[in-house]
Amino acid sequence: MRALRSYADPHVAGVCLGLVLLACFALTGQGLGASGAFASVVSGVVGAVSPETAVNSAYFRSYLQDGSPWTAWLVVEIIGVLIGAATSAALAGRIRLTFARSTRPSAARLFAGVSGGILMGIGAALARGCTSGLALSGGAMLSVGAWVFMVALFLAGFLSAPLIRRLWP
Amino acid sequence: MNNLLIAGGVGVAFGWALECAGLGDPPKLAGQFYLRDFTVLKVMLSAMLTAMLGVFWGGRLGMFNPAAFYVPETHLLPQLVGGLVFGLGFVLSGLCPGTSCVALASGRIEGAATMLGLFTGLLLVGLAFPSIEPFYRSTPQGPLTLQRLTGLPFGVMVALVTVVALSVLAWISKREAAR
Amino acid sequence: MRLVRRLGISALALGLVAPFAGSPSRTQQRGLDLDSIARAIDEGSDHVSARQLAEWIRDRRPGLRVIDVRSPAEFHDGAIPTAENVPIDQLARSRFAPDQTIVLYSQEGAHAGQAWVMLRSLGVVHAVFVPGGLADWREEVLSPLLPSNGSPAERAWIADLSHYFGGSPRIGGEQEGELAGAAQNGSRLRRRGC
Repeated sequence: MRALRSYADPHVAGVCLGLVLLACFALTGQGLGASGAFASVVSGVVGAVSPETAVNSAYFRSYLQDGSPWTAWLVVEIIGVLIGAATSAALAGRIRLTFARSTRPSAARLFAGVSGGILMGIGAALARGCTSGLALSGGAMLSVGAWVFMVALFLAGFLSAPLIRRLWP
Repeated sequence: MNNLLIAGGVGVAFGWALECAGLGDPPKLAGQFYLRDFTVLKVMLSAMLTAMLGVFWGGRLGMFNPAAFYVPETHLLPQLVGGLVFGLGFVLSGLCPGTSCVALASGRIEGAATMLGLFTGLLLVGLAFPSIEPFYRSTPQGPLTLQRLTGLPFGVMVALVTVVALSVLAWISKREAAR
Repeated sequence: MRLVRRLGISALALGLVAPFAGSPSRTQQRGLDLDSIARAIDEGSDHVSARQLAEWIRDRRPGLRVIDVRSPAEFHDGAIPTAENVPIDQLARSRFAPDQTIVLYSQEGAHAGQAWVMLRSLGVVHAVFVPGGLADWREEVLSPLLPSNGSPAERAWIADLSHYFGGSPRIGGEQEGELAGAAQNGSRLRRRGC
């Protein structure tokens, strides 16, 4: 099995990420994002399963009125993220299927993952973005809302971490 | 079509950089909140600093016009509350929306768990939207920036943010060296 | 790590030099160029309709700034989405970059028109205002009267625009129920959020 290559220096990876973000701004006038892609997909599913529900919620409507939600810019971008991450991991020998018993996370961890995801989904919807779109891209443009979101995020994280210490030994 | 090609390209580079930094690994990300692993802050601050300086100087050198770049709209209350809720979720799952994709792409089932939760959370907000819409639309400030808020020139704001961000990064380095 | 150190020092240098790089958006008081003002008023380039503004907001037109020149109390009561509140007495102190599209509005449009002239005297020549103000917004965008002799595509477009902002069009005097089949608007570059 190929040796596991160690991770890159975070500062260097961060600078590379910043350059990608800069290129994105220069090419499209907007930053990147992630939660919007998820929202697009959810809206698409709701729209397909129950169009009435989609029409009654301004939230879903907003993701359905600019063309197909399945080919939204952010959705294509997030597919790119999956491909890029997979390629990088594969080349570095870091793909590790955690379905195997030895490396599978505990049921508690998985439950926490889903719960955490639900909370993040709610938070991202309210804030109109997440760490990638709002905090990173908005933060680089010095948006007040982005910085408020970021400070609140880290505050909540640091304050609640001691309470769930058992989850992350 | 061109636009979508750019989207794909940006996404691939984005995912690649995140994976290289190790941000597809939940214990690593959660470690930030136990002050054990500062990768999250290092990556975020470095990226933000790079992009911010790039936007400013690119604009000054006439390469593009930053005034035309998208600044998210500020809605103070929903973004504050959203941030708090998001932070709690972040510590629980050890991943965020973008990094959950990186985790999944590395074969981690935790990524799938977080994504499932994300879809659910967004669905809940969408379904409850008619009731929470007034809160969602409250305290709008438009595309407010730090420089417009404080009345300081763009360049001065950039300098301030640079100094603060670099100070935090330096503090982190010092703390890690002391271990 | 040597590379990280170098990156950090470069960042510090770039950041510290930033304040001295000159600003393109300083506004200073100058005289009134009456000729150019009269010309702008004559040819109509001094204002835009509420509907045009609505389109710009929906399409996330780059560099768009919607300025509400009323008092903060009136602003909190109800404003156009994405608007910033810059009461007329603070207008002189604000900064406007040359490549931004600045749209001024007030309750009925009179104050916005005056603000437009004020900005002209400050050298800001790229601002426009909404002649009917918020009243026009409510009537043209939120609850527009669909023209009975207009084409279906035109009516759908107006209805779509109204729905985007949470309004509902009127058909022959009454509020509508649901208008099915929105017209496709081609592939303009739209706001995609985060």
